[in-house]
This record gives sequence, structure tokens and C-alpha cells, in this order.
Amino acid sequence: MKIIIKFFAIALLISFVACKKDAKDPEPEPTPVTPAPTTGTLKLEFEHMVDTLPLDFVQSYVNANLDTFKISTLKYYISNVVLTKTDNSTFVEANSYHLVDVASPVSTILNIANVPVGSYKSLSFTLGVDSARNNSGAQTGDLDPAKGMFWTWTSGYIMFKLEGSSPQSGSTGKGLTYHIGGFGGVNKTQRNFNFNFASTTSNITGSNSPMIHLSVDLNEFFKNPTTINVATQFFQMSTGVNAKTYADNYADMISFEHVHN
Amino acid sequence: MNKFAIIIFLFGFLIFASCKVDPKIIEPLPSDNLVEVVPLGWPQPIYSFSVNTISEDKFVLGRALFYDPILSEDSTISCGSCHQQFVAFAHADHNVSHGIYDRVGTRNSPGLFNLTWHPLFMHDGGVNHIEVQPLAPISNTLEMGANINPVIVKLQASSKYRNMFLKAFGTEVVSSQNMFRAMTQFMGLMYSYNSKFDLYKRRENNVELSDAELRGYNLFLTNCNTCHKEPLFSDFDFRSNGLAVNPLVNDIGREHITNSPQDKYKFKTPSLRNIAKTAPYMHDGRFNTLQQCLDHYANVKPNLINLDPLLLNNGLPLSSQDKQDIIAFLNTLTDYKFLADKRFADPNY
Repeated sequence: MKIIIKFFAIALLISFVACKKDAKDPEPEPTPVTPAPTTGTLKLEFEHMVDTLPLDFVQSYVNANLDTFKISTLKYYISNVVLTKTDNSTFVEANSYHLVDVASPVSTILNIANVPVGSYKSLSFTLGVDSARNNSGAQTGDLDPAKGMFWTWTSGYIMFKLEGSSPQSGSTGKGLTYHIGGFGGVNKTQRNFNFNFASTTSNITGSNSPMIHLSVDLNEFFKNPTTINVATQFFQMSTGVNAKTYADNYADMISFEHVHN
Repeated sequence: MNKFAIIIFLFGFLIFASCKVDPKIIEPLPSDNLVEVVPLGWPQPIYSFSVNTISEDKFVLGRALFYDPILSEDSTISCGSCHQQFVAFAHADHNVSHGIYDRVGTRNSPGLFNLTWHPLFMHDGGVNHIEVQPLAPISNTLEMGANINPVIVKLQASSKYRNMFLKAFGTEVVSSQNMFRAMTQFMGLMYSYNSKFDLYKRRENNVELSDAELRGYNLFLTNCNTCHKEPLFSDFDFRSNGLAVNPLVNDIGREHITNSPQDKYKFKTPSLRNIAKTAPYMHDGRFNTLQQCLDHYANVKPNLINLDPLLLNNGLPLSSQDKQDIIAFLNTLTDYKFLADKRFADPNY
């Protein structure tokens, strides 16, 4: 009988040991040693302007052709963000596709995560979506076709979408509709931006929240090199040479303002 | 000692039972396996299922979506409305597509099979990937007329679909990517390679072609095979085949996509597989019979913009006997096994 009881006890012990989950004894907590962070998050803020006026969807603005206009929709892709350190090493953001939608303020500040600690002197990115993702079938996240930035009848992303109105518009409804896309060939509409932070650097320490301020001037969309006349140029919804004209205009739309560390 | 053995056994059992690991129940696939197929002598397909691994649950979800009018704006038109299996997933007796609110489209609904070999989709090649192809008819206002977002909302609200997405993708959250990938499994696995002609070519079951069918095959090789190239019976290129332009529609074809005047009036070469079943013919369904098609090719007016060089000199030199023989050959391209394959049938019937 003793032996049976012993077995009982041993078996019971085994069953507990074998099944131990969170029943372990509380061990003395080691003094917390937080390892020095190796990465941090950098924010890119896009501030939208029309010349010197902040953009909203209520106010009327005047473009280079002296047409009066309002904007009701402004969306565009920022992709393939690359940061360069003062030692010229680079950080390339993985799966780097961001849809900026002015109607959604949170989307106008991009969080670039997992950036290695260090001092950064320059930033580059593409306005638009690279050819590879235009050719790769159903995507998710900001590239989900449900975001309304993917043409259904001719595959490819709308890189930049501006809609609004103008009394001078040649459209019967006085609308302005610019859906700019085309991902390959001579009429591609992605445009690259590269900014040096001049004498400043963006310092990622892991404990700070550095931010890079960028300014987006929508009046540049309507000029330089081609001054847009909304009486005749009020609608663009396909790829080709006309789309390229608008892309060439927005190629200098974004400028570097300053860095907050 | 026996008592000990029993007790040890019981406790051993207790240990196992108390730590039980849920056994994975692996459901068997249907007898006719869902697998990628590259028929003998065919090139490698353009789309592989490497990023969209094949499973029965995804296939079944894709099939449910294909046959469900929930994908249209007013939930009246499904993909299967205009793509019927008994005519190789073309639309019987409809020259052009028939959409929501009885809207009438401008182009003929093509047959669906061997889609993973297609580099581009739609008659004008506007769609560049099989996964995003369903977006085109779903959002075309003359066809299913729906924005993708309300469609996803409808699917998300359906317990049937939440359950199917969970089984297929491990999440009840309906995303367009998972929706399209499921549909790609259903449509991409529609292989058609078992026509009489295929059996003859593969020397299976002692199938032989008749004299007329063989004469037709030889005429096909001389006159048709450049564009309707074996074994897929299309080169998937875009060509103007000399059809008179319908002034009411003035469909410029490929130019609509490329904005290139050299592409005006060009349309994608359709496969001739199952062609006896997919009437009416041509991008706008203007011909009801193969005889009319061959009559056209035997008498092409030379003045059309961008007419394919192969059809200059009034088209193909075909006698009426030649046409009969070619039709006899084309009839051997019907894959009855595919037309009757229950895996592709509407699950609601």
C-alpha cells in the first residue's frame, strides 16, 4: 500500500511537472536593465499649402493661370522611403507604401519605424507606386484597390488624385478631376524626391520622436513647366503624355522645411 | 505488480489527457485533386500559385463568390451570369454583356479557361494580372456596377462568408486581397486540355481524327496558327482582324489602354479552344456561327486602319470546302470533360 501511495505521489508530481504552464513559483525579479535602443521611429509630416496659404477644402485659391479653384480631394502615394546617415549608410524602409489622404489628417504624418539609431542627413522617396507593385496582383494595406487609387479598367495605381472645382473649368459641372497614373515607359508618373537637411541632421536616439517637416504646394501642380488652364485642362483619367505633363508639374511640389529632434 | 502496472498506466493516461494537444483533423481533398497542371507540351503558365497556395477552402470560397450576385451593385448579377459553364464560361446567345438594370455592354463575354497563361486580360488587355481581373467587370457600370467597398461590407456582414473566409484564410476579416485570391483559385484552376484534339495529339485512347478534321487541322496550321497558336490556340497578342467598325460604338480596342494610334481597333486574339461552344463570336459578338467567321476571314476588306498584315490581300484564301474542313477541326477542340466538370459548377444547384 505504501508503494502504491508513493507511486501515486510520484505520478501526481510527474503530471504537474509535465503540464506546468504558468504555475511556476514567483522568482525574484531581476533589476530591470533596459538595453539601449537600437532603433527608433521617425515621422514625416506633409503640410499642404497653396502658395503660402494652408490647404483646406473650403477656401478658394488662385493658380498661376489666375483661375480660381477649390480642392475637395487630395490623395497621393509616398513610397520607397530611404534615409541616409552622415556616414553615408542608408536605411531602406521595408514594404514602404503610404497613402497620404488630406481628408484623413493622421495619414499626412508617416511613421517610419525601425530606423537604426544615428544621425541622418538626407531623405528620399517616390511620389507614386513602383512598377513592380503595379504588376503584382491583389495588394493589401495602403495598396488595397479598395482605397480607390487603383484603376479597374486599365491596371495600375493612380499615383496622385486631385479633385475640386473652378468657375473657369471647361467641364459642364465646373469640376476639376485629375487622376494621374501610368507606371512604366516614357510617360510614367512616379517622381523621385531627394532632400538634404542642410546644416541640420535628424537624430534618432530611440527615446525621442524626431519629425521631418515637408511642405506640399498644390499650386505647383498647376504650373512649372506647364501652366494649366482649367478651361481646357480640367479632366485627366488615363495614362499617357497628358498624365506625364501633370507629373512633371508635381515633380517639384514637395519641399523640405525643417527637422525637429 | 499487476496493480502497479494498472496504476502506472492510468496515471500515464492522466498525464497525457490533462496535457492534451488538440489533434489536427486533416480533411481529405476531393478525389479530383485541386493542383496546378501544365499539360504535356505546354509552356509554363504566367501565374503560379506560389503566393496563393491552393486549398480546397479557398477554391470553394472562390466558387461561391463567382456564382454569387452579391458582387454586383444591386445583388442581381454574378460572374456566372455572363460566364456559363455549359458554353465554356462564355455567355450563350448574348452578343454583348448584360449587366445590372438590364444595361447592355459593348463587348462579348469571353470563355474562361487556361487563364493562368494569359499575360493580359480583357479584349483590350487593360488588366495586367489575373488577381485583379474581377475588379473590371465588378466595377464596370454596364456590368456589375459595384464599388469594391460596399461589396466587402456585404460579404463581411454575411455569416456564411465570414465562416468561409475564416476557413480559407484563417481570418473572418474580409479583404479584397483574400477575395481576389480565392477567385483566382477558382478561375485559375479551370484547365481545359482534354478535347478530342488533345487526346489525338497525346495519342490517348486510340483517338483518331477523321479525314475532314485532319484536312481542317492542316488548313489551320497554314492559315490560322500564327495568331491562334497551339497549344493554347492564341498568341495573346492584339490585332485588327479587319472587322468593319460599328459606328454606334466605335470601339477603338487596345488604343483605349495604350493611347497609341497603332493600337486602334486591335483586340486580343481569343483562344480557339471550345470555340464551337462560345458563340456569338468576335469582340462584339457580331457573328453567330463559325461559318460567318470564316466567311469574314476569307473576304477581308483591305482598307481598315491597322489591319493585320497577315490579312492583307483580302484575307485568307479559303474555299468553301476548306471552311467546312476547318469547322470540322474546330469542333474537335471542345473539351466536354471540362464543360461537365462538377468542381466548376454552380454550387447552388
